Amino acid sequence: MLKRREFLKAVPSPPATDDGYWLHVHRTAMACRFEVTLPMAEQAGVQVATNALEDVAQIEQQLTIFQESSEVSFVNQFAGARPVRIAPSLFALLAQCQALHQETVGAFDITAGPLSQCWGFVRRQGRLPEAREIEAALALVGGDKLILQSEITTIQFARAGVTINLGSIGKGYALDQVAAKMRNQVQTALLSAGSSSLLAIGQGSHEQRGWSVGIRHPRHPNQRLAVLRLRNVAMATSGSEEQYFEHEGKRYGHIIDPRTGWPADQVAGVTVIAPSAALADALATAFYVGGRTLAESYCATHPNVLVLMLEREAEQPILIGTNPHCEVEIIHE
Amino acid sequence: MNLTEEQKEQGRRNFLKALAGTPALAALGAAAATWGPVKGGPVKAAVIGTGGMGRGLIAQCQKEFIDLRALCDINPKRRKAVAESLVKNGWAAPKEYDDWKEMLQKEDLEMVIIATPLWSHADIAVGCLDAGKHVLCEKMMAKSEADCQRMIEAMKRNNRLLEIGYQRYYNPVYQASYNNVLKQGVIGDVYFARLVWHRNVNWRRKEDPPSPDFNPSKYGYPDWEHLVNWRLYKQYSEGLVAELGSHLITATNWFFESAPTAAYCTGSIARHKDGREVFDHVYATLEYPGGRAATFSSIESNAFEDHYEMFMGTKGTLILQNEIEVYLFTEGEVPQAAKVEVSKQTAAPVADASATRPADSQRTVTSATPGQIDRNISYKNEIAEFCSSVRTGKPVRCGPHKAMQSALTVLTANRAAEKGARLELPNA
Repeated sequence: MLKRREFLKAVPSPPATDDGYWLHVHRTAMACRFEVTLPMAEQAGVQVATNALEDVAQIEQQLTIFQESSEVSFVNQFAGARPVRIAPSLFALLAQCQALHQETVGAFDITAGPLSQCWGFVRRQGRLPEAREIEAALALVGGDKLILQSEITTIQFARAGVTINLGSIGKGYALDQVAAKMRNQVQTALLSAGSSSLLAIGQGSHEQRGWSVGIRHPRHPNQRLAVLRLRNVAMATSGSEEQYFEHEGKRYGHIIDPRTGWPADQVAGVTVIAPSAALADALATAFYVGGRTLAESYCATHPNVLVLMLEREAEQPILIGTNPHCEVEIIHE
Repeated sequence: MNLTEEQKEQGRRNFLKALAGTPALAALGAAAATWGPVKGGPVKAAVIGTGGMGRGLIAQCQKEFIDLRALCDINPKRRKAVAESLVKNGWAAPKEYDDWKEMLQKEDLEMVIIATPLWSHADIAVGCLDAGKHVLCEKMMAKSEADCQRMIEAMKRNNRLLEIGYQRYYNPVYQASYNNVLKQGVIGDVYFARLVWHRNVNWRRKEDPPSPDFNPSKYGYPDWEHLVNWRLYKQYSEGLVAELGSHLITATNWFFESAPTAAYCTGSIARHKDGREVFDHVYATLEYPGGRAATFSSIESNAFEDHYEMFMGTKGTLILQNEIEVYLFTEGEVPQAAKVEVSKQTAAPVADASATRPADSQRTVTSATPGQIDRNISYKNEIAEFCSSVRTGKPVRCGPHKAMQSALTVLTANRAAEKGARLELPNA
């Protein structure tokens, strides 16, 4: 492990050349900043990145719950009453969500929307709900509320009032989709969605062993907890330091445990490195909710998943699992 | 520029972000300091002209690349102040001269930076080249076609490097715009560029002579006013088209891969009727091959638009604003445009991850360097790369031929304004 100062010490590099710079192409999508970073030497890079960002906007059109015209909004409107046929791409994503729900023992749950709703996080106006509101919301939450039929790609809800919200996997999913196209067009690029979901194509600059990404300390926003080097791998970070509210001196984060109906609070921050961004995204939320116990049991049976977790009261992060495409440097202040 | 509500909102957010420190671009300024030294050691150099531009360049000199040994200026007070500030910043005390010829005889120099008034560029540059020095001369190249030609001949005759200070060539934002946007056809075919440099100033300098007995006539000026305000008098200056426009014109020639073929120009001394001879409002139209055109306006009565180059293509619009910001708008999709930024590759992480940051989050990230975006990166690169070229023979980025084309454009536009006619450019 390197000390922060040693790691950041500037290595003297040759005078500026055209490939000594990064290009950052970004736009707003899914209520956050999507960004593609690539070496300036990737001459077609801006065009490829611009196209990729346009694809993200289209995926958002399909997945968002904030527009009535989206496919997911359509599902939420009608699947309580009857099976709704959906695009194979959306069906595949929902099936993956169902599998992840089981593998994470309910910690990852795309039906948890009513809970976020009653805690006020959907519109980013957090509030402490009444106990009966939480109970009512919980009655609409759970993997058993979704009925998927793969032969005819339909979805139906087990009861009226159930909704799906892909907020905890959509950004990663979008990165996976655009990366699949970009891999044929650029040698290397780093894709970021809202700074929380990242996907590395290739390994960055020639000299480096991978795309270097800092992990912000959840409790000290101006410090790094760790620095990762990513090669052809994805990562996602979950925490509540960006979206939370305070009530009578207690802080309530925006990630709700779908099993209890209350904001999860065992973990200060968790980063998951995984082969796909959708998986990393979903697991980061799940491990934020389920804590160290869930992360350890999951990683024991799933290779290529590496978890960097800072527990609520801990000074130092813990590492769980392994991934050969990522190196981790813990920063000691 | 007609901005939609969404763009205005975007502009406000960008403004707030700039206040919080813009990581990608702020990193540019910080990163330049990390380059290693050139092989063969720093290049032994002098600066002739320690006025505003000379001081600006000196401030971007890095000891790993350049060994500033001597300063030359006819104003001893200003020269001394610059020498003192160099010492304060850890440089050895430079030798001081008021005669550049004497300096060339006495000092062991490899290169000279020239930042004197336009009319004097050619004589000094030719003198330095003939003395065997490499020359980095401020823009505009020279005040006449013959002078530009003389400089090129001296460069060839002495087999030295000659670069003209069009720092946009050394700016990664412009390099990215050319290589990664225009050349890749991202904005389609570009038939029109709008070049704007608007200020609300009078351009007149107020400064006292260094001493009561200072004699400007020794140096070719009838009085102190003509020396200190040389930009306002035709004998010394080509006015706004040269001092401001030539930067934008040079960038356009680069991006259009061609010099203009003809120029129209008009202007007036509209606001500052204070005895000046050059326009305070000027409007030029430049014709490029293939039916393309650029317009340039520079006014001294309103600063709302500031300065930018806008390239309008069949598929999109590229705007380079204030030399460091780039905006890319796709046709028909203006409010949701992708924005392009450039940052220097360093050992530090290229991104910082955290819990999802909403698009309007104003929190700073660890890598953000506080403070303003630093557009001095282009001067820093220009000087460092010129020193590298002296050591390695690597070609300079702009060079005297392109600079001469830019100068001819300016000269033709100004002559067109005087004659009230459309004038074709001479072949450079």
